[in-house]
Amino acid sequence: MATNTELYCMANRLRLDVVETVHAVGDGHPGPCMSIAEIIALLYFEEMRLNPAEPNWPERDRFILSKGHACPILYAALARKGYFPLEELKKLRMLEGMLQGHPDSNKTPGIDSVTGSLGNGVAIGLGMALGCRMQGVDNFVYVIVGDGEQQEGIIWEAAMSAAKHNAGNLIVFSDGNNNQSGGKVTELSSLYPLADKWSSFHWHVQSVDGHDIGALREAVAAAKAEKSRPSLIDCKTIKGKNIPYMENNNAWHKRTPTAEEVELARAALGGAL
Amino acid sequence: MRIKSSREAAMKAIIEAARLDGKIVVVSPDSVLAARAVPFLEEFPNRLIEVGIAEQSAVDIAAGLASTGMKPIVISYAGFLTMRACEMIRTFIAYPGLNVKLIGLNGGMLGGEREGVTHQFYEDVGILRSMPGVAIIAPADAQQAYLAAKEMLGITGPVYLRLGSGREPEVFEENTPFVFGKIREVKRYGDDLAIFASGFIMNRAIEALERLNMEGIGATLIDVPTIKPLDSKAVAEVLARTGRAVAVEDHNFFGGMSSAICEVACHYHPCHVRRLGLRDIYPRSGHADKLLDAYGLSVDDIVAAAKEIARH
Repeated sequence: MATNTELYCMANRLRLDVVETVHAVGDGHPGPCMSIAEIIALLYFEEMRLNPAEPNWPERDRFILSKGHACPILYAALARKGYFPLEELKKLRMLEGMLQGHPDSNKTPGIDSVTGSLGNGVAIGLGMALGCRMQGVDNFVYVIVGDGEQQEGIIWEAAMSAAKHNAGNLIVFSDGNNNQSGGKVTELSSLYPLADKWSSFHWHVQSVDGHDIGALREAVAAAKAEKSRPSLIDCKTIKGKNIPYMENNNAWHKRTPTAEEVELARAALGGAL
Repeated sequence: MRIKSSREAAMKAIIEAARLDGKIVVVSPDSVLAARAVPFLEEFPNRLIEVGIAEQSAVDIAAGLASTGMKPIVISYAGFLTMRACEMIRTFIAYPGLNVKLIGLNGGMLGGEREGVTHQFYEDVGILRSMPGVAIIAPADAQQAYLAAKEMLGITGPVYLRLGSGREPEVFEENTPFVFGKIREVKRYGDDLAIFASGFIMNRAIEALERLNMEGIGATLIDVPTIKPLDSKAVAEVLARTGRAVAVEDHNFFGGMSSAICEVACHYHPCHVRRLGLRDIYPRSGHADKLLDAYGLSVDDIVAAAKEIARH
């Protein structure tokens, strides 16, 4: 079992991978990666039952990054998990690489679904959860949705269906960083309060600090224990977390760090770890 | 007894296939009644996934199911599937090539007839034809729909089956074969021209063929039940023989079967092709036959187009 300290270190290691990758290739969305670093570290380096040597192993847990633009951190986790060499990260978004601008199950081992077109992850995850259950596979399907993307109506279609089908093997994290491409979520829509909405859709809902590994760990355990309802883990997060010049600065939704900014990030994240 | 409704026919094929294959499931955005799926629900209550009136998530849920090895069939009205859930079909089913079958009801004016524009769909084929990786079938009557559904379920990958209102005329003998990916010569009086037709408008094409023959114009009627992938080589061979053609479909005349025929003609055998379809306008509610007559798809219209082109 990984300790909380190890997972915090991994989260920061992945953050630095993102900064280095986006700098190297000159394109990508670094800010949205940082708010989910602890969730990704916990899932990939502790919770999920995976076999990188057999990416399509039918018994595996599934993961869907519904906010697909945050894929650089998912790619970093997959590389460090052994799905492909770390050098692939330097070919992100390039014709000769396997890492597409948004997650792509056709081209990248370890990716369970195409995503990036916002709003689709919960419905696809529900289909996976039902398909696994119908075939007697005892596993979990994890989805990360951004808060902004919950403005998409299909999220709530799927929320209604998942509760109706008692999809206890579906666990969704809401990345509540209150930022979206065009500004603050709370200014662009009246999405919040979120937890109440999911509760009223008959989901098992927990609200946690999305950067607290211990709290996330406990929330996942409780979500797994809830067998008859799908779970929403409402995570309060910070866009750009742990990199001072990025924190809550929406200019970093999509922007390339300079060499100097890479070094600032490296220093803030505790060196090369 | 012969099945008279395309909807019941397809469901019969699905139930028969589901008895042999436990991975077949139906995803219903409240389409159990419209899809005539009550017998399926009674026989396989755990294999009908009802998602409520929510076509977009129905398609995404099917994508998720298929990714785990299940074989989902999503059934809804043609436009709610291909228009409302258009992007979901393209990005989450067609692109990954998932084994999802899509059945669109109320295809064409004939399908939606009295329901009006909201429930008549003459864009579905054009929309799906523009997406790489989706096969498209438009059967000509209920018996053909049964055979097409059966064959479709044996194909791995995305396939769209266009069905109608459930009140389609019988046009072919019961033992008429259906072969996916092939065109079929229905009747050949001569090579003065070819008439390509697809879907439940076939009865009109047949009547036009007979009338032309009575008037001394020998045409060849070709059924085009698989619109994509189109049997291009065979279409080109017909065009090489006749040198002119009429293409008839219950679809807007952009993007559908007749456009596909013209694409083949341009490339392999440039010749005159007169197209009969909805002329890029929205029709209205009406009795099916009166509606088709009013919007340029009468037997007279087909005969007139054929005569005009035969003079070229």
